Amino acid sequence: MSPTTNEIVTAAIAREIRDGDLAFVGVGTNGRAFTLAVGIPLTAVRLAQMLHAPSASVYWGNLLEPDLSSMPADLKQDSFTRWQAAACPSDTGVKCDMLARRAFDVCFDSAAQIDRFGNLNITAIGDYRDPKVRLVGCLAQPEHFAFVPRPIVVVDLDRRVFVEAVDFITSVGHLRGGRSREEAGLSPGGPQLVVTDKAIFDFEPGSRQMRLRSLHPGVRAEEVFDLMSFRPALPEQLPATPLPSTQELDLIRRVIDPNRVLLRI
Amino acid sequence: MKEKLVTLEEALAPIASGSTLALGGSLLRRQPNAAIRSLIRRGVKDLTVQSWAATTATDMLAAAGAISRFEGIYTGMFSYGLAPNFRRAVEGGAIAVRDFSETAMVARFRAATQGLAFLPIKTLLGSDIARHNPEQIRPFSCPFTGEPLQAVAAAKADFTIIHGYVGDKYGNVQWPIVRDSDDIDQMIASAATRLIVTVEKIVPHEEIKRRPTLTYIPGNWVEAIVELPYGAHPAACDGHYDEDDAHLTGYLERSRTPEGAQAYLDEYARSVPDHDAYVAKVGGLAALEALDVPNREQTHA
Repeated sequence: MSPTTNEIVTAAIAREIRDGDLAFVGVGTNGRAFTLAVGIPLTAVRLAQMLHAPSASVYWGNLLEPDLSSMPADLKQDSFTRWQAAACPSDTGVKCDMLARRAFDVCFDSAAQIDRFGNLNITAIGDYRDPKVRLVGCLAQPEHFAFVPRPIVVVDLDRRVFVEAVDFITSVGHLRGGRSREEAGLSPGGPQLVVTDKAIFDFEPGSRQMRLRSLHPGVRAEEVFDLMSFRPALPEQLPATPLPSTQELDLIRRVIDPNRVLLRI
Repeated sequence: MKEKLVTLEEALAPIASGSTLALGGSLLRRQPNAAIRSLIRRGVKDLTVQSWAATTATDMLAAAGAISRFEGIYTGMFSYGLAPNFRRAVEGGAIAVRDFSETAMVARFRAATQGLAFLPIKTLLGSDIARHNPEQIRPFSCPFTGEPLQAVAAAKADFTIIHGYVGDKYGNVQWPIVRDSDDIDQMIASAATRLIVTVEKIVPHEEIKRRPTLTYIPGNWVEAIVELPYGAHPAACDGHYDEDDAHLTGYLERSRTPEGAQAYLDEYARSVPDHDAYVAKVGGLAALEALDVPNREQTHA
């Protein structure tokens, strides 16, 4: 069976994880949003652990270094309560403090809107004080972009999501481009990669605008542009996103997610 | 030690319309739902709610038209999607929201805990969260390094309601050995002015004092404690019972319309006299015990 889009994306993200990385993974919601925010990131970090980054680890919920070789079989509370981990600190304030002192290397984010400069919105669509759609708020997503050196955004390509400017800046990415992020007082960083179901983007040095990095096999550039409300920067050469190896596919399918809980949708 | 064990109605009696109310719980864990149903029954209105990751308690209050302002990190229904009644009330202009990120809300509760007017953060530089809230998030320069910082105002509430696991009649509340600690209930409790705690079970003080390190809310902080088995229903109490999927699904189904949400509140909050009647309404203890997690007794010391 040829690789699914989720498997291509998962393998691509796994290659970005370095040995020793501590990755922040959110607790996610349901359906496709769960796959994007939780399923793909957990599978990718576990794959990296098994291949090239044995000491990479995850902070999930308030579990520091949960055992990724034995993930919860379902999404009921008790399955989360009993998930074994190296540490379960007394409250989430501990995780907030670790974020603020830059103890994380990587984080995963999803969003209702992302713009040309990688700013995210998970708060409200339309006017903040009179919103068309009220979303969930902000959680720790502002912290991710403020304090984590290598944020990875995982989101499906869609014209309503990839907008010229987000309606509300929940997480400050590269702000208005150039050095505007640093001028606002933020540390260097901001989103490094935007991984979608059609292509992977990075950010152009200097201008800091979103740049197409690779197209998933079989996807044309025009198809990608049609699914965005702004035109991304283009690299000199536009490669295809590498396919997962036989070994990577085998690990994902038979070992990490045999019941298709994480990459179901 | 002073005995603080009272009925739910006695504990909540001081909470009047117009109060600022801090709520414990996170996502679908330990939402103080029984207490919230009691406030809805009494018709308390015009509340400012402060919360961590809010779900059922805040959404029911929103459905009741009881919230005028919300300050917190999240309002949704976790794996069930957006919070329908909260969303409708915000989009309709009934609730004014002030969003805070996690480090910001932690700083606000810690500031209140320490008796400070604010604590500094540097999370929200450049963010619209700060731009829309100059009243509670203000820029200043670090007096040591000169770097830009933001002062976030202390989260001072008139009343704080937390649903805990087990406690004694003196208000000492203990964690189980194995739990889901993805919350800040202890911090919210430590920031409280008047703290009301509901617990799954009242246990003898002798059991509490054998392992005082498990006491996360000392009775010293508590004004009143109430025994409310399944007091977080339809949300979960980790280590005790899981969320009630069928009830939550029904709640969301009915909350698709304002009329449906009112009918839900009429049925489960306004027409039942107390928590015992609520338990009977949802099928009695036998039905709720079906939600119990395996090895429930072993989670406590």
